[in-house]
Amino acid sequence: MSMTDIALEVNGRKKTIAVEPRRLLADVLRQEFGLSGVHIGCAHGVCGCCTVHLDGAPRLSCLTFAVQCDGASVTTVEALGGPTAQHPLQQAFRSEHGLQCGYCTPGFLMALLPFVDEMVARRHRPDDAEIREAMSGNICRCTGYHGIVAAVRKAIDASLAKGA
Amino acid sequence: MKADRPRQIGARVQRFEDIRLLSGTARYIDDIRLPGMLNLTFVRAEMAHARILGIDSSALAELGYPTWLFTGKDTAGLSMKAHQDVPEMQYSEQPLLAGDRVRFVGEPVAVVLAEDAYKAEDAAETVLVDYDPLPVVGTMAQGRDNSLPPLFDGWTGNVIIERQMKGGDLDVARAAAAHTIRRTYRTQRQAGVPMEGRGVVARYDPADRTLTVWSSTQMPHLVRTYIAEELGLPESRIRVVAPDVGGGFGVKGQVYADEVLIAWLAMKTGRPVKWVEDRREHLIASIHARDHEHTLEAYVSADGMLLGLKADITVDNGAYSTYPFTSAGEPGMVGKVLPGPYRLPAYEATYRAVATNKCPIGTYRGVARPSAVFSQERLMDDIAAELKMDPFEFRLRNIVREFPYKNVLGFTYDAGSYAQSLEKMRDLLAPDIAEAAASKASTTKRIGVGFACFNEQTAHGTPDFTRRRVPIETGYIAARVTMAPDGEVTVDLGLQNHGQGLETTMAQVAADALGIDPAQVYVRHGDTLTTPYSVGTWGSRGGALGGGAVHLASMRIAEKLRAIAAHLLQARPDEIELAGGRAALRGNPGNSIEIRKLARMALRNVEQLPEGMIPGLEAEFSLDGPGDGTYSNAVHAAVVEIDIATGKTKLRRFVVVEDCGTMLNPLVVDGQVRGGVVQGIGSAMFEHFIYDAECQPLTTSFADYLMPLAPEIPDIEVHHIETPTPLTPLGAKGLGEGGAIGPAAAVANAVANALGVGVTSTPLTTNAVWKLCKHLREAG
Repeated sequence: MSMTDIALEVNGRKKTIAVEPRRLLADVLRQEFGLSGVHIGCAHGVCGCCTVHLDGAPRLSCLTFAVQCDGASVTTVEALGGPTAQHPLQQAFRSEHGLQCGYCTPGFLMALLPFVDEMVARRHRPDDAEIREAMSGNICRCTGYHGIVAAVRKAIDASLAKGA
Repeated sequence: MKADRPRQIGARVQRFEDIRLLSGTARYIDDIRLPGMLNLTFVRAEMAHARILGIDSSALAELGYPTWLFTGKDTAGLSMKAHQDVPEMQYSEQPLLAGDRVRFVGEPVAVVLAEDAYKAEDAAETVLVDYDPLPVVGTMAQGRDNSLPPLFDGWTGNVIIERQMKGGDLDVARAAAAHTIRRTYRTQRQAGVPMEGRGVVARYDPADRTLTVWSSTQMPHLVRTYIAEELGLPESRIRVVAPDVGGGFGVKGQVYADEVLIAWLAMKTGRPVKWVEDRREHLIASIHARDHEHTLEAYVSADGMLLGLKADITVDNGAYSTYPFTSAGEPGMVGKVLPGPYRLPAYEATYRAVATNKCPIGTYRGVARPSAVFSQERLMDDIAAELKMDPFEFRLRNIVREFPYKNVLGFTYDAGSYAQSLEKMRDLLAPDIAEAAASKASTTKRIGVGFACFNEQTAHGTPDFTRRRVPIETGYIAARVTMAPDGEVTVDLGLQNHGQGLETTMAQVAADALGIDPAQVYVRHGDTLTTPYSVGTWGSRGGALGGGAVHLASMRIAEKLRAIAAHLLQARPDEIELAGGRAALRGNPGNSIEIRKLARMALRNVEQLPEGMIPGLEAEFSLDGPGDGTYSNAVHAAVVEIDIATGKTKLRRFVVVEDCGTMLNPLVVDGQVRGGVVQGIGSAMFEHFIYDAECQPLTTSFADYLMPLAPEIPDIEVHHIETPTPLTPLGAKGLGEGGAIGPAAAVANAVANALGVGVTSTPLTTNAVWKLCKHLREAG
């Protein structure tokens, strides 16, 4: 199969690679870039495990071909808070027990981070229903979502309090 | 030793394992890549029941890249054997790859290996299997119809096993009964469906004859034993590693044909071999669960006392018996647990598993108990309704109150809080009960309150498995605790952690015994090379037995530390207290020595040890469960709001009152309970594997198999009562499964309460509830 050259900036690192047009962004990130924090849960766009940021917006990397991303900037969970997970949203997931097996967790973090930022920017304290709606594209099989909702609320409250 | 006050046990310690899981640095099965590795794709059966006439792989040669093909002819003689050692069972074997016949859609027929996963998939698509279809056995009724041909040569009909359990005199109960209530209840086919599917990687090193198998499993030691026995290899040269595992829920608590097959392929090809399941494979061919029908007949006195219960239990087992719990496991569990938390003088259960052309049944969180409790607790509400009694009052009249209590089958219930939990729940629900009653005037919107009361045998020990004669054989968990010369501790744990927080809770247990900080305890698990032989993580035994084993091993080290400290401080060992990283004379904390200095003496400066003391700080303990297990208990309650016109059912509230004895870490306990409850809500309202009349699976993606999403789920309220058990070292009972056991019954009882109808089956989807609302639409 023919190969196509594409340029990607992944977590701030630029790289030009040759890929088959059919190759999924998720596979390219996992294999060519060694980013095993990108998890594939269903590979048909329902569970949200593989969510990354493409030019700043959440994107399902299992429904995206790498060739579609030529010239784009990609961010994965590895860039969020480093190897010790220092980002406030990660810390809130930990303190509120928003994860158990951890497989869906990178997807939740990447899906929810823009929501947290938006709420803080709007200085809006969302209710539970809004928080739950914001994570409706992700499936967690372990936590029952309770701890994730609490973590999002905590991260937003902490930022709002800091900005007050 | 009671003198050591608990300091870490019971604390809400944040989980140590979270750091790698949050940062994306955890390593799951798909993250394992080895030089020279081949990727495997299965060719799976497309028909539910057919003869294989031939396999045409001629197109592989034209692909232009190397491929390897193996079929059932290559693996002939190798199989999964999951036999319960009783004469009533019809045995079958699942070949690693199908021989001349397939028995469910998704059954592995052949494998194609290539040097790239995409290429292996391409290549597998070119392999053509010629099938000659056979009539399918597709339902429980067909499974019991002996005029249909059996799935296996030599069988008589398709009933795999049919047995009985009984206690007391049912004739006496029947004769004395003022009321006889008979109902049939059904619970649908579902599965655990962890977010990470399964996967296996294997590598063989011929130089030293060592086989390494990585598998996303809950039971690495049992995988090792099965591979050794089936492939005829010395077990000492096999290492099975469960890396980070993305959820299990029982689906990964089986030994699978593919685990044996991929080990064999690594030896056969001389190359490392990797297979990572895709979601469609997971949904059609990793194990399913539940799929029960129970017909219950209760005999009740005029004043509302249960006199007896007769049960007829059928499970649609699918095509094969799974290892190690077998086809008898699921229906047998129902028979065993149906007496529940009630005083029941007489009981008789007939239970059977029937073979059908569907995916095999295995374990899923709760193992049969979600179905058993659904039937039991729907029946309690149906009896209460018939007797015009309040459902709390009816249960409280029959609930077990004195402990230990020997039930009608001879199982002993250790201490619990059955009545107290019911009473507490009744108080918590008072406003909802009032609101539900008021809504009965409406024919457009109804509120319903339902609850389920149950006890749960957990952490059961070897006698329980011996009685069942299943190949699991035993139930013990072992832990080895080692203190290094710097005072830091390693726990090598026979459990496997896949979300339960064991790397934290076990550190808390060791830290308490040793008087150090939990952060000083490194918990390793999931690798047969480093961990002592154990049965794995299932059956709600992690906290109770794993915690117990870690505690007892740590106490042996603590005893030695106290002896060294006593020698140095010129005191008796029983006067030494280990706390805060120091060994101190009780009542005189100024007179103390750092534990890390004692550790150095025990391993390096051994000349300072008491005379005759053997150097070293290492201890191992294997802890079997109590013969009848230890019984956790809980009451679950749901409040639903139903739109009569559409059937749309909103869960307004879900409340749990639970008693798992001593809580090691309440943060983890709450997480386990809530996660289990939401899986149970999935069972109650959403999840259903559907097959058509030809046994073709219709639910093969997450667009068809619907699991609960956040917006559908309310906050789960959890209330605890702690009744420690005398049967485990820390007083802990099993906890991991209970959350999933009550919701189907609680939600169904809430729907029944809202609509004033009997509810006999799950899932209570919008469409199912809409049908149940018919009488109200007609009245409105």
